[in-house]
Amino acid sequence: MTAIGRLLDDFARRRRPLRSLGASGQLGYGIPTPAFEAGLARAPDMIGVDMGSIDIGPAYLGGGKMAPTRVGAKRDLRKVLSAARRLDIPLIIGSAGSAGAKPHLEQTLDIVREIAREDGLTFRMAVVAADLSRAEVKQAIAAGRVRPMDTMPPLTETDVEASSHIVGQLGLEAFRRALEADADVVVLGRACDTGIFASIPTMLGFPAGISMHMAKIIECASLCCVPGGRDTILGVLDDEGFELESMAPNRAATPSSVAAHSLYEQADPFEIREPSGRADLRRVTYRALDARRTRVAGATFEPAERQTIKLEGATLIGHRALLIAGAADPRFIARHEEIFSAVSRVVRDLVCEDATEDYRLGFRLFGVDGVRAWAEPPAHLPREAFVMGECIAPTPERAEEVIRTTKQYLLHHGYEGRLSTAGNLAFPFTPPEVMIGAAYRFNVFHLMDVDDMARLFPVQLETVT
Amino acid sequence: MRLDSIAKVIRSKNAGPCLLTLDVMLPDEATFAYVAARIDALRRQVAKRYGRSQNEVAVLPFAPGLAVKITLPRDVVSGDAGDRDVYGAQQHAPLLDIEL
Repeated sequence: MTAIGRLLDDFARRRRPLRSLGASGQLGYGIPTPAFEAGLARAPDMIGVDMGSIDIGPAYLGGGKMAPTRVGAKRDLRKVLSAARRLDIPLIIGSAGSAGAKPHLEQTLDIVREIAREDGLTFRMAVVAADLSRAEVKQAIAAGRVRPMDTMPPLTETDVEASSHIVGQLGLEAFRRALEADADVVVLGRACDTGIFASIPTMLGFPAGISMHMAKIIECASLCCVPGGRDTILGVLDDEGFELESMAPNRAATPSSVAAHSLYEQADPFEIREPSGRADLRRVTYRALDARRTRVAGATFEPAERQTIKLEGATLIGHRALLIAGAADPRFIARHEEIFSAVSRVVRDLVCEDATEDYRLGFRLFGVDGVRAWAEPPAHLPREAFVMGECIAPTPERAEEVIRTTKQYLLHHGYEGRLSTAGNLAFPFTPPEVMIGAAYRFNVFHLMDVDDMARLFPVQLETVT
Repeated sequence: MRLDSIAKVIRSKNAGPCLLTLDVMLPDEATFAYVAARIDALRRQVAKRYGRSQNEVAVLPFAPGLAVKITLPRDVVSGDAGDRDVYGAQQHAPLLDIEL
């Protein structure tokens, strides 16, 4: 019998509270062992981990790369996989490999199979890929079934062609289909983090609203506590509400810390959206059980009128090269804007003698405008500043040519009032030019109507040995 | 009163790649009520400091968390060429010295 089968059987015999362990909000960066082990000692019914987010930017989705190292991901996956198999409870992993497209999912599955082989584990694994074919998305555009999210422009066929991967954020129902296929381990490509922890509760008949609310909190591990952190959290769910307890003794889930967590990375703290509907948090109550535990109740669920899926895609915009340097001359710092423009022109005239201006060159002066494009200049100029030149060009060679030329002419540029005629820049090391590879941007962040999730995102089963 | 002299937390982060969301968390009911009563003034000042029109700036009091949430469009979609803060975690600085 599989782990989910055993759990369903147990609940069929005797209904009781469900104990979910949120092991990590970002798998691959370390799961602190003491709190994780403390959680395992509390007889959890499942372990869930989220691996991804869109916040890390477009390079991972576009380039098919994981954000953590393979070593880090393997160490954490081994920890949760060994524990889940030892206790014979379901392990649910969402947004495999950070961005959750096919290469990310495959890298994750490859690690899972490798661990099974090395540690002599055998289990049944259900996998759902989140990728959408270009043809499918283009059909939906033509049928008027794709709408922009937030400030994005309408999606075009050109965007779809240009995007290296397009994924849909799978929801609760995809996790449920995977579990219903009878599995020990469930791995999904890009997915809403709520599905990881709300799928088993809804299968067992717990109310969807409170299940989703608990899921949204424990997917971030102990981030909802004071002090917030990465340690494992335990969520105990019943038919009226749920109780939260960090498995790290120094972290407390208090009514105010848990309530405040609803604000985190959310535009609307009163609702949680997912493909099948939304949880409404307007009537939620938070009650302290003791100094470290809080009970939460009151979220309600409203099913969506039509099923939609959030699309994410990223496209290559070129190859990036950087110049890294410092400056300590007050005259250079004061006149940096005109110096940067003048050098950009010099560089253009040199590198475009027999080529078009096919690149983008920009500068940041950290200490002045590195972090924000401030409307006003600073009241005082800094004593030192960090100079970063950035070129994005169609090929790595072109980006390198532009940035190396820039280095030379920025170093020696003669500007009005210059005293330091031997050089304008301090290089902390050489070469000060760094080639950092392909650059991407999000060109798909849209909502698509979907009639049949199971057709677009089928479950694949595998016995891992 | 300056925002950074009365708030417990002032932070920013992306809410998806197109939006920036800023949380101002207050230490107690009284301070929360003080800020919540000045939502329009706060919206005006935020719009000015972030170079946005007032209707692009959403300001929402969140009583359960004794917080005010501000959401506005990012100047550049997260990670696109010209972006300066992919996670949006350092865009709270213009809020600090707002006088309410």
